[in-house]
Parts: sequence; C-alpha cells; structure tokens
Amino acid sequence: MKVSLRKELLDHGATVVGIAGLRGYLSGEIAHLDRAVSIGVDRRLNEDTLSLLARLQKRAVRFLKARGHRTLAIPPDSDRKKTTFISTLYCLFNHKMAATSAGLGWIGKNGLLISPKYGPRLSLATVLTDARLRADAPVEHGQCGKCMLCIEHCPSKAITGLEWSRSSPFEELVRLGECRSHKTGKRQMTGKPNCGLCINICPYGRKEANTQ
Amino acid sequence: MATVEKQKEIKEKLRNAVIQYDEDACKEAAQEALSEGLDANDAIFNGLVSGMEEVGRMFEAQEYFVPEMLMCADALYAGLDILKPHVKQMDLGVKGSVVIGTVEGDVHDIGKNIVKMMFDVAGFTVYDLGRDVPLDSFVKEQMKTDSDLVCLSAMMTTTMTGMKKVIDDLRTKNPNVKIMLGGAPVSQDVADKYGADGYAKDASNALKDAINMVSSLKKLKDEAEAKKKAK
Repeated sequence: MKVSLRKELLDHGATVVGIAGLRGYLSGEIAHLDRAVSIGVDRRLNEDTLSLLARLQKRAVRFLKARGHRTLAIPPDSDRKKTTFISTLYCLFNHKMAATSAGLGWIGKNGLLISPKYGPRLSLATVLTDARLRADAPVEHGQCGKCMLCIEHCPSKAITGLEWSRSSPFEELVRLGECRSHKTGKRQMTGKPNCGLCINICPYGRKEANTQ
Repeated sequence: MATVEKQKEIKEKLRNAVIQYDEDACKEAAQEALSEGLDANDAIFNGLVSGMEEVGRMFEAQEYFVPEMLMCADALYAGLDILKPHVKQMDLGVKGSVVIGTVEGDVHDIGKNIVKMMFDVAGFTVYDLGRDVPLDSFVKEQMKTDSDLVCLSAMMTTTMTGMKKVIDDLRTKNPNVKIMLGGAPVSQDVADKYGADGYAKDASNALKDAINMVSSLKKLKDEAEAKKKAK
C-alpha cells in the first residue's frame, strides 16, 4: 500500500513523499493518527504550489479512505482557513517534525527543512492516518556542517548557527523576533515582506535550480 | 420533482458525506438536492442532521475521536451553507434566539461551537459571543437581543465560577430567561447550585443534548404537518 500511495502522489506532482511513524510524539487529540504522510513540493516561481499541495492531500485522503482508514489532512502553514472547526487542531502539529521523521531531510541552521536534493526549497503538507504504513528511517542530525552561508547573508543577523539534532533539547536556531522585524521593516519600505535570502543562498539543491 | 427513491438517495448521500467527513461530497449532494427540488428542511434534517446523529453515536462508542468529529461538523456546515438560504421559515412554535459563549478566562470553545452548530441547524438565531467573553457581555447581549436562551461554557474549574455571577446577573435583570451550562468541570450538581435550567456534561453530551433538542423540534414539526394534513 505504501508503494502505491507514494507512486500515486509522485505521479501527480509531488517532489518527495515520506512516511513518518509518530507513535508517542503526538498530543492526545490526534494520537490515534500516528502515521504521517509527508508531502513536499518543489517551489518554483509563478507556480501555484499551494493548490498543488491541496490537490495532493485530497488524493492521499481519498486513497486512504477508500481502503478504510482514518485521515486528517494538515494544510500548509501558509494556507490555513481559521474558520473551520478542525483548524483549532492544526496548531498541535508541525510539518517539519513529520518531514524529518519521514527521512526527507534535516532542520538546517536557517530553521528550515533541508532536503539533500532540493535544499530548503520544498513546501510541505501532511496527511495523518491510522493506516499501518511502514515508516521510513528518520533523520536524526543536521548535516549543514561548517557551512555558514545563511548566517553570513542573513540581513537581520537572526540565525544563531546552532546545528539541529533531534535528541538535543530545544534551542533557538533562528531568533524569530529579529527575522520578523526585518520583514516588517521591508514591508513598510517595499510593500512586500519578502526576504528569503537564507533559502536562496543554501547550497543544497541550488545548482539544480540554476541549471534549469 | 424527483421521485421518492431519488430523494432518498440524495438524503443518504448527504448523511454519508457527513459521516465520512467529506466536504466536497457534501457540497455536491447539497447542490443535487437543490437541483432536484428537494425541500431544504427535509434535506437538512433527514440528511445532514441524521448523519451527525450517527457521528454522535460513533463518538460515544469511541469509533470516532475529536478530529473526526470536527471534520464531520465542517462537512455538515459546508452542506448547510448551500441549503440554508432555501429553508422556508419553519413554524415550530418554539423558534427562538440564543446567546452562547465561553466564559471569561477560558479559550476552549470546541464544545461550544458544536452546540452552536446544532442551534444553527434548528433554525435558531444564534448570537455567538465567541470565547473568553467578559461576564457582563452575556447580560448585555441578552438584554440587547431579548434572547430566550443563554448558553454558558467553561473548560476550567477556575473559569467555571464566573458562570455563577452571570446567572445571578441574568436572573435579577430578566427572571424568565433560560440558562444552559456545559463544559468539562460542570456537573448537574453545579448547574443546580448555580441555578441553571439545563446542563450538558461535555462535548459529546452537549452534542447529544443538542441533537435531542433538534430531534424534538423535528417531532414538533412532523406533528404540526400531520395536523395540517388532517385538516
């Protein structure tokens, strides 16, 4: 079932698909849905990544439901309707946690999911399910090594430079307040909050983006 | 007008869409109901609400958990949004308006929202004050809207005590208003002690009570119709 689900999603536009086993990591309300189908789509300019992710989620939900399993689709962070009942549960869940657990990549020094092949250029969505899908091997440690590019290029000096590791206690990788205030300032100047230098500069997946 | 079988099929579709928490299917079935000329009330009560009754049962039997129930409620609303503009004003004899909210200091509103939904379905006018509602707002809103019913919800024992004050204030200003309590720390004893008229134990019981209420409304409606026919 796992193979055919993965194939179905990849055939319809997913860039990467991983399965995470999350037993014991989820809060009470959603603890029974302990497998996560983590879906990543390569962001390209002028393409509607969000609607593609929504379509892929629906596909995964239909696939699993047709086989008699429960599902809960968690939409991308940037596409959340606040008006639905179910939206009150979205905050219990973290896409990047599912993605690292599904072996799609690690959390980089810039606080984003880094895929070995696509770098920090994936948009994520997750479908939780109780189907007994075999989980992929999780990634446990950051692999940024000595690379300091995002730290050097960050205009707000918000990146602390710590390397992520699942087992180590939570530490702030990015001082979000500073990142945010930079973006707020930028919005006042140019009308757009865009920054994204830490994404652009990341060497993982960069070369591929340039050659295309 | 569609045949009886066709009508039954569409209502079954609505019911299943709610149980299967499939918003798209629910919207589709609601559209179909309209285009086939089904009575909107019939589609809501014998389709959507009938599905939600089953969901309530599954929730109690622990076949469904909180996320499934919430998604079912979302599916119901998706269908309701389409059907509601076509509802003819029901003559239930008991239609009314209700003020509902989670009391000050408390931000837990899942149970409150589900109760609210059932009032919506039943054709009540609902004044939803939301969550973390200052205590005097309930009284003000009740006075302003002259509502028949005030529903108070609390999740925490610390905020529950606020209900007593609201009830006392409401009683002095307007002795006729009915007051219903709900939420995890509330019990029948508490409801009696605070002087409330009704009580629902938790989200699932509130749902059941609300469903019971809707069912009795449905019965009244059926009786009214039977009387009309007899004449």
